[in-house]
Amino acid sequence: MHYPWWYVPGLTAPMLIAVIAVIHMFVSHYAVGGGLFLAVETSHAYRTGNQAYLDYLRRHAWFFILITVVFGAITGVGIWWIIGLASPLATQMLIHIFVFGWAIEYVFFVIEIAAAFIFYYFWGRLDPKTHVAIGWIYAGAAWISLVLITGITAFMLHPGGWVENQNFWVGFLNPQFLPQTLARTGGALLLASLYVYLHASFKCRDPELRDKIGRRSARPALLGAVLVTVGGLGWLVFLPPSARAALETAAPLSILMAVVFALTVAVFVMLYLGPYRNPGWLSPGFGILLLACGFAVIAAGEFVREAVRKPYVSYNVVLSNQMLAADVGRVRERGYLESGVWTRAWVRANYQRELIRGDTVDEGFMPTLPHDAQVDLGRVLFMHHCNDCHAAEVGMSAVSHLQRGWTEDYVREVVRNPEKVHFFMPPWQGTEEEAELLTRYLMTITPDYPAGMHFGTEGGS
Amino acid sequence: MGPEQLLAPTTTVGAPAPYWLLVALKVLGFTLHISVMHLWFAGIVLALGWRAARSDFARTMGGRLMNQMPLIISLGVNLGIVPLLFLQVSYYKVFYPATILMAWPWLSIVALLMVAYYGVYYYVTGLRAGRLTRLHHGAGWVAALLFIAIGFLFSSGMSLMERVDVWPESWQKWSVAGASLGLAMHVEPGTVARWAMMLGLAVTTVAVWTVLDSALFAGRESADYRRWAAGIGAPLYLVGLIAYVIAGSLYVFGTWLGPLKQEMFSGPHLILTVLTAVGPGLALLLVLMARRGATPLLAILAGVAQLGALALHAISRQVVQNLKLADYMLASADPPNYQWDVLILFLLLFVGGIVLVVWMIGKAAAAYKSEITPSR
Repeated sequence: MHYPWWYVPGLTAPMLIAVIAVIHMFVSHYAVGGGLFLAVETSHAYRTGNQAYLDYLRRHAWFFILITVVFGAITGVGIWWIIGLASPLATQMLIHIFVFGWAIEYVFFVIEIAAAFIFYYFWGRLDPKTHVAIGWIYAGAAWISLVLITGITAFMLHPGGWVENQNFWVGFLNPQFLPQTLARTGGALLLASLYVYLHASFKCRDPELRDKIGRRSARPALLGAVLVTVGGLGWLVFLPPSARAALETAAPLSILMAVVFALTVAVFVMLYLGPYRNPGWLSPGFGILLLACGFAVIAAGEFVREAVRKPYVSYNVVLSNQMLAADVGRVRERGYLESGVWTRAWVRANYQRELIRGDTVDEGFMPTLPHDAQVDLGRVLFMHHCNDCHAAEVGMSAVSHLQRGWTEDYVREVVRNPEKVHFFMPPWQGTEEEAELLTRYLMTITPDYPAGMHFGTEGGS
Repeated sequence: MGPEQLLAPTTTVGAPAPYWLLVALKVLGFTLHISVMHLWFAGIVLALGWRAARSDFARTMGGRLMNQMPLIISLGVNLGIVPLLFLQVSYYKVFYPATILMAWPWLSIVALLMVAYYGVYYYVTGLRAGRLTRLHHGAGWVAALLFIAIGFLFSSGMSLMERVDVWPESWQKWSVAGASLGLAMHVEPGTVARWAMMLGLAVTTVAVWTVLDSALFAGRESADYRRWAAGIGAPLYLVGLIAYVIAGSLYVFGTWLGPLKQEMFSGPHLILTVLTAVGPGLALLLVLMARRGATPLLAILAGVAQLGALALHAISRQVVQNLKLADYMLASADPPNYQWDVLILFLLLFVGGIVLVVWMIGKAAAAYKSEITPSR
């Protein structure tokens, strides 16, 4: 509405956010939990004078830096990039609300980087006490950055009282803050152990040491699984009603929730029976299986977390099609094409003579346009009103397939009242005339009802 | 359709802090970012060039710079987010449209950065193991070229942000039903000049690094090397400065329109323009003084002088940006909704963070010093 819409054929631009964000989550949780692992275990190895374990931890620290400082950091930058491109209004709002929250997060990032590099590159050169202290500084800074970003992302699901008073702290300490912080802390502990298992299963040749690593890392992993479950339950309890309803209504989300729950239980059982009780089981295959399960939990969980927000990007603040929730009434009255900065410009550039009277779009002339022009304008409406979630003919939740065989009247009804057909869709934000234009366009991409299906009601004797 | 019609309405949330503070943080963040970013932007090419030289000293210097590169990149990338954050607070009306119009090239920065960063790591792994194969060299050169390409993409994005006047045409050309295809890569003489200007300035920063490194961090190297390394700074600085001056002149006299030129060459802005032009002079003088061997004090002074020159450059960039956008928007006009409590918390944590980082660096430096100082 305020910014140009980026058309990504097939996939839709916001799906790129999901792809980059999920990949980032695989690493960012390890960046937090792995820091705690290194601090705790290095301290333990120094205390017990276990040089073999210290040598292993040093190798793990290098692996940790290669994964988190490079891949984690760059995918984190990638999220910044993609949210500005695919969800600019929501990003603009979040940045205006939380800019200093993010700035504080970057202070901790810089501390993390300094600590991580000194911890690794000065291994064996610093006295043990200082070395461990720097490990703890890293771990603390990483966890605080997790807390900070969780407050901001949790706000998107439930801003609490922010909508009324617009206070930073009210928005940050929203109802979802604590549950999500618990779940993410648990996820960090759990995923870090799974990375450790993978690394140790390939890189640790000493079976006794491998058993020790398996056993010791099982404890934070099991604790992590418990925290994920407790945080997840809290998340469920404090969901806004629409998100809870989405979870109950949409079959894919219900299935993914079941997947998250089942895999968390499966990982818990595998951890308990494997590394905790029988550390000798730790093999590369087992390590890969555990980490794959951990990734699946994270990916499914993130998808559910994103999807239940619909029809909002930020609950009650920004709708999924880049419209301020507070603006819907005004836009309906004025017209969608006229209200959007770039749609208004597009109409002026292409239909100045046909539709502009005085300085505004005259909706009354829309029905008099030739059919092709109506379809053309309908496509503009589709791009800006619908393409955030729906591809047109092929791809992500393609509208064409969703409306296969629908009659024009039915399409028109759905266009006028999308939120009544599916409560997780944003309401129609245009005028009656614009609804007609969008209907015209949608009818050009509506496939026929599949042939050859018989229900015994086709008529005849 | 006037380009001014393509600007988003003013935020309803309001500015979280006074404009002067937001822009100061943006300029400060940009200064810190480029002071580190320059070391990979021009530094990797130079380091790989030195590695290919016959001189042992040059090869040592190339190795030293590449060895530090993983930390340099990590720090620089993170510092780069700070100006982008504050840019989005005050210049959202132009930042989002410009980047969306060239979405694919803009997004490609992330992928290129990933490849380049791992390329550097791969090279450094070979370097530290003392086994640099052709593949390692190839990875290093690919990384060097990718970083230079990334610099160009940034110049393109930042130029498009200021060229609101070209938006309508770019958008119409690269859109489907009004939706941007994200392919409107912006290239004009100004883009190339800005990129070249930054590259020249980056060479001067690398020159200052040679002085700083030789005086502060090269304790394990021979005294002859340290003298040689400090000496290389002056000619290198001159080369960078000449490139900076040529590209800067092309940018200023070849691409600025009359009113902008008039504004920057009169009144209080004239002082800034002159200071920006002569800013690197002090750093050059100090680098010249260090050419027969740099003391730590002299090296630190050269570093501070270079930081000052970069800050002047950043301030000028900001003033020019505001002047170019003046016909379309006034960044300081957003309604106030200041978050003083969070701002104060940020500033306190910022200071605390610096103290903590300095403490850690101090510990590392002490450990390093004890290694290079023979025990009695």
